[in-house]
Amino acid sequence: MNFAETDEQKELRKAVKALAESYGRDYMRAEAKAGKHADALWREAGRLGFLGVNLPEEFGGGGAGIYELSLVLEELSAAGCPLLMMVVSPAICGTIIARYGTREQQEQWLPSIADGSKIMAFAITEPDAGSNSHQITTTGQADPEGGYILNGRKVFISGVDNADAIMVVGRTSSAEGYLRPALFIVPTDAPGLQWQPIEMELNATERQFMVFLDDVKLPADAIVGGEDANLAQLFAGLNPERIMVAALSIGIGRYALARATSYMKERTVWGTPIGAHQGLAHPLAAAAIEIELARLMMQKAAWLVDSGDDRAAGEAANMAKYAAAEASVKAVDQSVHSLGGNGLTVEYGLGSLINVARVSRIAPVSREMILNFVAQQTLGLPRSY
Amino acid sequence: MKIVVLVKQVPDSGAERNLRAEDNTVDRASANNVINEMDEYAIEEALRLQEAHGGEVTVLTMGPQRATESIRKALSMGPDGAVHVVDDALSGTDALGTSKVLAKALERLNADVIICGAESTDARGQVLPHMLAERLGVAALTGARKLTVDGSQLTIERQTEEGYEVVTAATPAIVSVWDTINEPRYPSFKGIMAAKKKPVETLSIADLGVDAGEVGWAGAQTTVKEHTKRPPRSAGQKVTDSGEGGVALVDYLSSEKFV
Ligand SMILES: Cc1cc2nc3c(=O)[nH]c(=O)nc-3n(C[C@H](O)[C@H](O)[C@H](O)COP(=O)(O)OP(=O)(O)OC[C@H]3O[C@@H](n4cnc5c(N)ncnc54)[C@H](O)[C@@H]3O)c2cc1C
Repeated sequence: MNFAETDEQKELRKAVKALAESYGRDYMRAEAKAGKHADALWREAGRLGFLGVNLPEEFGGGGAGIYELSLVLEELSAAGCPLLMMVVSPAICGTIIARYGTREQQEQWLPSIADGSKIMAFAITEPDAGSNSHQITTTGQADPEGGYILNGRKVFISGVDNADAIMVVGRTSSAEGYLRPALFIVPTDAPGLQWQPIEMELNATERQFMVFLDDVKLPADAIVGGEDANLAQLFAGLNPERIMVAALSIGIGRYALARATSYMKERTVWGTPIGAHQGLAHPLAAAAIEIELARLMMQKAAWLVDSGDDRAAGEAANMAKYAAAEASVKAVDQSVHSLGGNGLTVEYGLGSLINVARVSRIAPVSREMILNFVAQQTLGLPRSY
Repeated sequence: MKIVVLVKQVPDSGAERNLRAEDNTVDRASANNVINEMDEYAIEEALRLQEAHGGEVTVLTMGPQRATESIRKALSMGPDGAVHVVDDALSGTDALGTSKVLAKALERLNADVIICGAESTDARGQVLPHMLAERLGVAALTGARKLTVDGSQLTIERQTEEGYEVVTAATPAIVSVWDTINEPRYPSFKGIMAAKKKPVETLSIADLGVDAGEVGWAGAQTTVKEHTKRPPRSAGQKVTDSGEGGVALVDYLSSEKFV
């Protein structure tokens, strides 16, 4: 057992932190307000190899793992720059293509996902298949002329407007029964593909979209890992997804705690700085403990993924996502409260994080679905649904 | 073109720094040690020269064992290798002694251009580039905010209080730079991973033919006799604004000759 990071991991942390601090929360807020995507930061992080640390060196990546990728997102978020598309493009899509893609798919996508020059969105959620992904109905029919014709509808898909392609989870056989997913790479300029933004109460540089797939013709090589890919193939991408969402939540929690701490040292209402009042200090300390605990779990989950133990990683990644979301929501809430009225001013920038922090309670799997998973898989309790 | 960059490890200027009571030297043990900020600009300038003119960039550091962290950090930005002069006898060496040791190391490296920061954030003497130029018999182009190279001709814009001076010299020469010269790059992930595989040669003072008596406490020409902390800031002067606040502020500023 060893909890010490290597020198390289520490240096990576420092480098990402320095880069992110040169942009900072104000930059992100301005980008979000203007409906932009923090492209400058994304591109610079990509050029420095930070967005593709987990991808194979052979295809332009850093040759490290999800541990390093989650460290990057944690540090970006801790500096006020949560780049949500890191969860999707390099972590989900990059991992799946690196593990199950054909050589051609790897050559086509991995180098540009790694350096950030291309972004791949990921679409699994459907209007009638949110928490229950077994009900996915998006289907690719065999095209008599070769390839597939894809039809379906997706909802809440992040970053489609700024993506080069979407990895769409569908099926090739009938829509009934347990999901045997098929993963289609759909270029965003494919005829028949359309999207519409969903207005969200979120201050973020990515938007969510309804996506319509109407007779989208795809070549046979648009499918990653065969027609009836098994669930394991999907989970190869979803464990990293959960870990990355945990990293983002922990980073946001750390950001909020840091803002609150510096404010509480300065602000004096009764002769001592408010940080000396235990009514404020203790909840903040408790929040810091919970963030750190969640962080440990995230690191364990990342370590399990990198060691190749997908089964154990599944449980750990779910637990980490749960713990991180809860800790982050609490840390943000307590931080906002610690600033009094300033907690809700635009200037101090914490109020808008209340909603942002709550996203990870809902997505990519809700808190309840993780509790269901742990109740059934870990504790062996019967299921109600 | 062979370029050598001087890199010094210093206590982080952003955190609290102290001198040790026993010997009036910088307390490095309890400090967060980082690359001297100005040296990052020197490294960046060296890498830009290399990108434009080819050649090799070597980092040269004199410092305790712990300075290897800063050497790795420097290498992660892109230089090809490093030389680390490390010797217990060097503890207590003053600027003159440091220049003697670095000059010896530089003689072995045969640089066309030596680049360093204009000052270090701990000592702030600004003397080392001049001392090195003197010892090596090369030109000193100091305080640069811009550097251009044309064959063996170096031209700098030397930053001054009023503006700048254009100074030229032929290689070999030493150039010291201010933080106005460029924007240092962040280490890339590949750079970080490559840094641990780059060659770092360690040299003792014996390797350099320097006698222990010429350096360290014994060889120092200067000593710090005592030190005291800067007194805490006094409370200052409060201007209560009852309509005349602005005038009072301007009065104060002009009495202090700020406006
Ligand atoms: C900001 C944001 C970004 C997103 N980005 C993407 C994306 O890029 N790609 C993508 O595919 N999806 C994305 N999503 C969708 C997200 O994954 C879903 O919202 C999530 O899986 C929940 O599904 P749902 O919204 O349909 O909720 P529902 O499934 O309708 O659930 C509603 C509520 O019921 C609870 N519930 C459901 N079943 C049970 C049960 N058996 N026991 C107890 N409680 C239960 C849930 O926990 C939840 O609280 C995003 C969502 C958000 C908010």
